[in-house]
Amino acid sequence: MSLPTFKLLRPRTVEEAVGMLHRYQDEIQICAGGTDLIPSMKQRLFSPKYLMDIRGIEGLERIRVTPGLGVELGALTTLTAVEDSGFIHKHYPVLHEAVKTVASPILRNMGTMGGNICLDTRCLWYNQSLQWRKSCGFCIKKDGDLCHVAPGGKKCWAAFSADTPAALLCLSAEVNIASPSGFRRVAIADLYTNDGVNRIKIAKNEMITSIYLPESSAGYSGAYKKLRIRGSIDYPLAGVAVALKRKGNIVEDAKVAITGVNPAPHLVPDALHALAGREVNEHSAMVVGELASRVAKPLTTSLLTPEYRREMVRVFTKRAVMAAAGAEFSI
Amino acid sequence: MKKELIELKVNGRRHEVAIEPSKLLLDTLREDLGLTGSKRGCDDSSCGACTIQVDGTPMLSCTMVAASYQCDNGAHEITTVEGVAEHGALAAIQKAYGDWGGSQCGFCTPGFMMTVRALLQRNPEPSDEDIRHSLSGNLCRCTGYTQMYQAIKAAILAEQKGMARGNERTEEE
Ligand SMILES: Cc1cc2nc3c(=O)[nH]c(=O)nc-3n(C[C@H](O)[C@H](O)[C@H](O)COP(=O)(O)OP(=O)(O)OC[C@H]3O[C@@H](n4cnc5c(N)ncnc54)[C@H](O)[C@@H]3O)c2cc1C
Ligand code: SF4
Ligand code: FES
Ligand code: FES
Repeated sequence: MSLPTFKLLRPRTVEEAVGMLHRYQDEIQICAGGTDLIPSMKQRLFSPKYLMDIRGIEGLERIRVTPGLGVELGALTTLTAVEDSGFIHKHYPVLHEAVKTVASPILRNMGTMGGNICLDTRCLWYNQSLQWRKSCGFCIKKDGDLCHVAPGGKKCWAAFSADTPAALLCLSAEVNIASPSGFRRVAIADLYTNDGVNRIKIAKNEMITSIYLPESSAGYSGAYKKLRIRGSIDYPLAGVAVALKRKGNIVEDAKVAITGVNPAPHLVPDALHALAGREVNEHSAMVVGELASRVAKPLTTSLLTPEYRREMVRVFTKRAVMAAAGAEFSI
Repeated sequence: MKKELIELKVNGRRHEVAIEPSKLLLDTLREDLGLTGSKRGCDDSSCGACTIQVDGTPMLSCTMVAASYQCDNGAHEITTVEGVAEHGALAAIQKAYGDWGGSQCGFCTPGFMMTVRALLQRNPEPSDEDIRHSLSGNLCRCTGYTQMYQAIKAAILAEQKGMARGNERTEEE
């Protein structure tokens, strides 16, 4: 299928890019790796007048370590580059684990960190061709005014389906956002809205330029577990990231975050409370699983039932907690 | 939309093409450059039949806007399956695919070739696990994966033995 027609813009600097965003606001769309946007454009979910390819902007494609502060990942750093970084693997293992489950190796060569963070939300009724959507009736997220998943409601429940933001939440990451008036820094935890339509708090004239992983999160052990239909390529239908800091076997700090089930990724509150000051065992891991499944509110946005996805959040959280602690587990 | 003149570097040669700014690289290769080796399988970025290399890295040409990959100061060297043969003779991996039945209908083969080639360029001695991992984004509808793994291993052996194509031919004769 061909793409809807557009005019291609190729800025070379962040200033130029932000200027273009400011000028064309509603008519422009940022394209980084294009692995989310281009398939959606084929389905006519987006038909911007201007497509702004940001890959030509210098300096946004690097991993830079600043001792004492942490690591800065440029927004255009590919997922493969993050996966291959020995530094990330060693110091931020939860991000390494999450990134290597995204899509397929070829898609990771193209997909970027910025695009992963800004990924569109997904739903069975939305990620379909124009013909399909027209036949079944347009919904709130695109061109319509009803929701097939929660009829009667006015809210869109499409699921946020990127893997790395769950890991980034566990690492207390921040993003740097450029706008015509300068830069601002926002915690990943404050970036999402939990609304399937306006998923992210980035204005139309803004773009992400980099992601910071604080040094204080380095050295946490980590694990990422993911439910998907095709093991080699699919989006998460539930994803759980866990990062633990332990002294000996005793947990000092714990972060658990889930993705793929709600319109935003979420930290699991009270996970620390359930784990702090003791060793990880099947029981405490199970308690955290229970807490995580309470945060998960999947609806019928995918081929798997909400009940199953929620149950898998519970099971995968338990497994991820055990794996992050290097403990053996039975199921 | 008006066509624009762009320059692409494909298989070592520069080409000027007049295309719409929204034209996909896959369609530009097939329709404007006559390089029909790269295939449109799924058209939704999940099968790998359209895989090409950009500066040695496998990418999906059905998910790329051609005008984004114009040749700029040496960047964006595109290689398609048509550029895999060396000096007019089949590359080791192409020959091994033939010898070991790595292709059935052949539709997925050009994509696999590009992925395998990139793997071997980066890692001349991949483990079974490395091979599986790197091929996990290419799908074969005829499901002849076992023969492909055999072909890949044969190609690796052939390269390792430094079996120059000339010698091989003398042996056969
Ligand atoms: C078959 C298939 C399977 C996939 N499986 C997964 C999966 O398992 N897990 C997963 O997480 N993803 C998956 N993806 C999606 C995608 O490959 C990755 O999420 C990738 O990281 C997206 O990055 P990109 O650069 O290609 O994004 P793009 O498509 O370029 O952009 C995505 C969105 O982000 C916006 N954007 C991009 N960069 C910026 C920026 N710097 N500032 C502001 N906005 C920006 C774009 O405007 C667009 O709305 C899959 C895709 C396909 C086709
Ligand atoms: S959750 Fe409802 S409104 Fe949102 S994409 Fe799905 S059907 Fe549409
Ligand atoms: S045609 Fe490009 S991935 Fe299938
Ligand atoms: S040989 Fe037929 S699709 Fe692979």
